[in-house]
Amino acid sequence: MSVLTHDHIAGQTPNSSNAGGMLLRRMNVVTAIIFGLIFCVGIHYIATAVFVMPEIPEGQDPPSGLVWMLENRVTLATMAGWVLGFMVGIGAFNGPVRWILGKDLTDEDLLFQAGKDQGISRYFRYTTDHKVVGIQYLIITMTLLGVGGTFAMLIRTNLMTPTSTFLGPTTYNTFVGMHGIIMIIATIIMVTGPFGNFVLPIMIGARDMAFPRLNALSFWLIASVVPVLLSTPFLGGMPTGWVAYNPLASQAPPGMDAFVITIIVFAISSAIAGANITTTAVKMRTKGMTWTRTPIFVYGVVASVGLAIPVFPAFMASQVLSGLDRAAGTTWYDPAGGGSGWLYANLFWLMGHPEVYVILIPALAALLELTPVFTRRPLFSFKTAVVAIAGIVGLSVLVWAHHMYVSGWAPDLGGPFMLTTEMISIPTGLLFLVFIGTMWRGRIWTRLPMMAVYAMLWNFVIGGITGVYLSDIPADEAMHGSMFVTAHFHYTLMGVALTGALGAVVYWFPKMTGRMIDEKIGFWGFWMIQIGFQVTFMGMFMVGLGGQPRRVFNYSDMYTTGNFVSTMGAYTIGLGALVFLYTIISSWRHGEVAPSNPWGAKTLEWQVPTPVPLENFDVLPIITEDAYGYGRPASEPKEGSSV
Amino acid sequence: MTDVELVSAPQEDAQYAWWRRKDVKAIFLIWLLLTVIGLSLCWVPAHLMGESASEQMDETKQTMTLFTAIAAPVGAFIWAVMIYSLAKWRYTGEGPPPDDAPEFRTNTPSVLVWTLGSAILTMVVFVWGLLKIAAIPAASGFGLQVVDAPPAMEIAVTGNQWVWNFTYPEFNEIQSDVLYLPVDTPTTFDVTSNDVIHSFWIVQMGVKVDANPGAITHTEVTPHKVGTYEIRCAELCGILHAAMQTQVKVVPKTEFDAWVKAKLAVVPLGPAEPKSVGGA
Amino acid sequence: MRRFLFLLLTIVIGVGFVALTGTYFSRASANNSLPVESAKSVGTVDTPRGKMQHAMLEISSWPDSMGGCHGEDGGAHPDWVTFCPTTDFQLPAHSLVTIRVKQYDGGELITNAYFAKVHGTVDGTAKLNGATINRISPDTVGHTFTIHGISSPTQEDLFVSVPLMAADEEKMGANGYPLPNIVEFSFYTAGPGVYFWNCEFPCGDGTYARFGGPMSAQGYMAGEITVI
Repeated sequence: MSVLTHDHIAGQTPNSSNAGGMLLRRMNVVTAIIFGLIFCVGIHYIATAVFVMPEIPEGQDPPSGLVWMLENRVTLATMAGWVLGFMVGIGAFNGPVRWILGKDLTDEDLLFQAGKDQGISRYFRYTTDHKVVGIQYLIITMTLLGVGGTFAMLIRTNLMTPTSTFLGPTTYNTFVGMHGIIMIIATIIMVTGPFGNFVLPIMIGARDMAFPRLNALSFWLIASVVPVLLSTPFLGGMPTGWVAYNPLASQAPPGMDAFVITIIVFAISSAIAGANITTTAVKMRTKGMTWTRTPIFVYGVVASVGLAIPVFPAFMASQVLSGLDRAAGTTWYDPAGGGSGWLYANLFWLMGHPEVYVILIPALAALLELTPVFTRRPLFSFKTAVVAIAGIVGLSVLVWAHHMYVSGWAPDLGGPFMLTTEMISIPTGLLFLVFIGTMWRGRIWTRLPMMAVYAMLWNFVIGGITGVYLSDIPADEAMHGSMFVTAHFHYTLMGVALTGALGAVVYWFPKMTGRMIDEKIGFWGFWMIQIGFQVTFMGMFMVGLGGQPRRVFNYSDMYTTGNFVSTMGAYTIGLGALVFLYTIISSWRHGEVAPSNPWGAKTLEWQVPTPVPLENFDVLPIITEDAYGYGRPASEPKEGSSV
Repeated sequence: MTDVELVSAPQEDAQYAWWRRKDVKAIFLIWLLLTVIGLSLCWVPAHLMGESASEQMDETKQTMTLFTAIAAPVGAFIWAVMIYSLAKWRYTGEGPPPDDAPEFRTNTPSVLVWTLGSAILTMVVFVWGLLKIAAIPAASGFGLQVVDAPPAMEIAVTGNQWVWNFTYPEFNEIQSDVLYLPVDTPTTFDVTSNDVIHSFWIVQMGVKVDANPGAITHTEVTPHKVGTYEIRCAELCGILHAAMQTQVKVVPKTEFDAWVKAKLAVVPLGPAEPKSVGGA
Repeated sequence: MRRFLFLLLTIVIGVGFVALTGTYFSRASANNSLPVESAKSVGTVDTPRGKMQHAMLEISSWPDSMGGCHGEDGGAHPDWVTFCPTTDFQLPAHSLVTIRVKQYDGGELITNAYFAKVHGTVDGTAKLNGATINRISPDTVGHTFTIHGISSPTQEDLFVSVPLMAADEEKMGANGYPLPNIVEFSFYTAGPGVYFWNCEFPCGDGTYARFGGPMSAQGYMAGEITVI
């Protein structure tokens, strides 16, 4: 579908003195910030005037809680104002408003929005070209990982000694919560955002996504809430972890309102991105690309957003109710008013468990996509890979209460949830088989992307097995709420998912930036991260087994050694991450210029020139076979079955 | 052209059955070695869990050891293939490797065996879990008890931000901040919270249950070793969550009775009669 | 060589960023911006545990923050209840410590009557305006002073909880606050360590379980005790 396709309004001619077009051309991140501030301050002023204490007759006390609720109302309104203003200022409303006014965007306007002939400034605007949005997502992901990583370094510094006063309880708990939510957001978007956007449309032979403006919208919504989330420590902090359990969140200072707004906006952004990606993958595959010829990466991304679309609204609902409890005096989560903390826990974990697969599947799919390239063998049993991904998605919505085994909510359901949880290891294990089978007797080209596959396999075994321990109810009774859980999910979310994302960034870097990653230095950065990672989280398994709870700023001196070791590992990760960051920046600026297909890969994105033209293809390709035809001459695909 | 010969080029090994091929034999040996190493270390997680003060903790440690032992051959296989692939299948030249690796796209027997094998392991782990749940005392509510439990001493546990307190309803509602328990006596905890969600965790006994406002949850344990152990809150509950900890002292029955007697003997000294008695 | 220098620069900037962020938040945290009040030595004393150092700490609790220890205009939260002069204390190890609290705030029914009793003091009692008590009526609790900490196999826990009776709001003193109730209690400290204390009378009005606001804030109703 061409970027130019739209309904022609009769009589509409491209007119560069068109006032609407001029406005559109001037909007960028600077106007977004300006409008954000104007709306933020304006709405704050209005809110403080509207949300005031009513007149209290002499001698009577003000209604309990009103002061606190009024503060929350003002805070929520102010932050919502910022988001609204930012989106106005970035030009998100241009298209709809122009359409309402009958002055629909012209062809020239659309090409401008797609970033035609704009150089680097197109990255700072509401640009619809999926390649630009992909790069924008890459930058914001790296930024979020950097900020979240900074919090991690400070958390581990506080945990270096048992009675450290480095941060104190309020700041420490706030940092734990912020590290968590920033990393969760970053890991959700880190593969789907940069590569789902930049690579996927080219990979399926399309010119752009199904809804290019929604693409820009989903990105800029995330950009708009980053400052909101980062304002938390300055508003009293947040006393909860990233899971924001109520009723504790009800008690929290205004920093908690920032979390509420962030999640609501992020959920909207994810829903939009999900609708965009699924429509694109379902409707815009080029001629001849049947589902059996669609690359596995597409399956992975679609499965991930397809899972996110129904479950993220539960998270959003949980935060809306939390906001209502904080600002409107409702008692959704307050037993004294008929509510229950279990309502929150269920809403949250209904999202919370599928969400880890939303994080995991794209990263695994990216590695599944690149493994055939670096072993020169077809992807082993493509159908098994697809069925395994589908199995993981299907089962993942049936396991959430394994996070609530000891909550007392429904102990009788413990057995069934234990079953579904342990059953997920079957499709997950099949993905291991696909990796092993693709490597089997291949010509293993140990470039940096392939090293990520090896690191992932090591980490996934440990992460997966420790998950099985936790799925067992009596074992979970001992280990729930301890550092063992923290170490388990870091092994999966960081050791598998982040490692997969690092592999993906090195793999697709030549196509996205036109340069090769310097693998000499990248090697050191990558392996420092991996080695530091093992040290950090093995230390954490140790203290978790020994009985150290999670989310504690100080701990019993019996856990000193494990924590010290863990902190040293964390510093190593930090250094490795900086080396890797340097690698990315320096390679981007003056790395070796990349040919259009440095890896000799067969998927469509490698068959277009680098840099990729605005509309990707001169002529849309017609597909006659899948992209895994390695290890044989170019002819009809054959099913082989010998080891 | 190829600069490294594949170890088992198809035309050489094709005559042999798959288990006699060089690759497979080598990977089997590596797998065996790694499995032995893994099995020899399978006691480590249970050891790191420290002292055990109850049978439930003993069983949990047993589970950890068993699961580690089951995991050893599984992990060993993946790691064996990884190691062997780097040793023998590696391409070390410039540019993309030549396209001469075997082109097979699937291997139905291996997929079936793998699926069946992982399903069997899952069932083993699941059934083991069910058996162990059945051994957990009825009060914990996991619903699978097959044996009637003997009557247990009841203790009310109240979580407040950021202190635990214990009430003994069977002993005229005496209260304490330290949990005194007589050894070898089944004890049921009725746990609740006065504010946010906490989690009552006796570390060395392997029992844990959340303390919820507006609800009472239960867990039960029989301490089988005299000593002093730790109770830690296991659910973030505000700024001093890290300090919401106390000790449990498991003592011989005689010492416990003496402690109760001393508590009962305390005469209230204060400005007025309390209007309400007891805990939360 | 040039590449190496830029790599080093990236590392330095990165580490510097983390260090600066950490330093800023560390300094700004309530923990580190509160003054520390040390118990003053008042000689040695004979106890059932032998001759021990005796130290004394004088603090007070107020219905708002205008009383002076948060600055002239009450600081960031002038309407919050607070302890004064600070909430971070230092006590000597292996000593007898006496804390004397002047309680200026009113009060009402406490949720958990456990905290209307005296726990963990030398003989389980405290002195309320000179009279020996081991509990007060749960209806008349103003605040509590409850010390607790992390449990460790190497050290006996320190747990002390004393109710501070509500001041009579009908009887005003010269300073514009009710006449205070004076509560005095003594306990033994163990080895060096870090402990925490907080008030267990929920008075964070409006917040869930009334434990938000000042109840969850160091500098007001919660703090740190370092035993050295």
